[in-house]
Amino acid sequence: MNIPFDIILQLFVVICAVAAITVRDLLSAVMILGAYSFFMCLMWAQLGAVDVAFTEASVSAGIGTILLVAAVLKTTRRTKD
Amino acid sequence: MKTLSLIVSIIVGAFLMYGTIDMPAWGDPDSPASTHVSPYYITHTEVDTATPNMVTSVLADYRGYDTLGETTVIFTAGMACILLLRRRGGRNKDRG
Amino acid sequence: MDFIIAKYNYWIYITLMMIGFYAMIAKTNLIKKIIGMNIFQTAIILFFVSISYKRGGATLPILTDADAHGGHVIDVAQYLNPLPHVLMLTAIVVSIATLGVALAIAIMMYRKYHTLEEDEILKAIK
Repeated sequence: MNIPFDIILQLFVVICAVAAITVRDLLSAVMILGAYSFFMCLMWAQLGAVDVAFTEASVSAGIGTILLVAAVLKTTRRTKD
Repeated sequence: MKTLSLIVSIIVGAFLMYGTIDMPAWGDPDSPASTHVSPYYITHTEVDTATPNMVTSVLADYRGYDTLGETTVIFTAGMACILLLRRRGGRNKDRG
Repeated sequence: MDFIIAKYNYWIYITLMMIGFYAMIAKTNLIKKIIGMNIFQTAIILFFVSISYKRGGATLPILTDADAHGGHVIDVAQYLNPLPHVLMLTAIVVSIATLGVALAIAIMMYRKYHTLEEDEILKAIK
């Protein structure tokens, strides 16, 4: 396993997680969560779990992001924290 | 409230990190999770199911009832979403 | 130093999990709480997937041609552990189901109270 690539992925995942809960715009938060899901998918592909990575890329990063965007567009983008 | 939540999160995280001291090393081939039940799946999957992909054979063949339950969960969630988001017409319009 | 190299992956998973936990208990916006729940679930799934990893040249849990038709004894240490992968496939799909139901409840609350902030909803209920 390539150790530096592993560390880069873990760093990006943690940065995306922190950014997704601190940004003050809900649509941006949802988009950052989609990026988080794709980084997580890369991480699983690198751990050898290719089936889980496929499922994550299609189900969680695809359908989950679509559901969240639809919910934000149906309600509001404004948030206090 | 925010500082209290942060303190609670840090304390729980510290306890969980204390728990990792007794975990097997990361990626250890001789960890208990890799030595008890999974060698059966790895060695018998070709004989039992004639499928080279072990994940598929375990998902659809050895643990097919598990997948059936998962489908039930998805069906229940879909029914709950439809029932919650349906716009009710008629008398009780204010209920959404 | 060996101890840190053997365990630091677990600490990163715990950090992710605590980020999600903090978002769930501290944020007042409902969508932010749902995002925190998603991060929490993903961190737990990542922990389970990492249990199945084996250092030292183990490949994907798909049998090669030589092992599938050779008839000789299969070396277990050569393949990753397939069982956590299967269980986590189920967990991902269930997490999407819970996300859908949570978002449906959030949309319903917005239709009734016209806000997503928890404190304003509590004020409107009183």
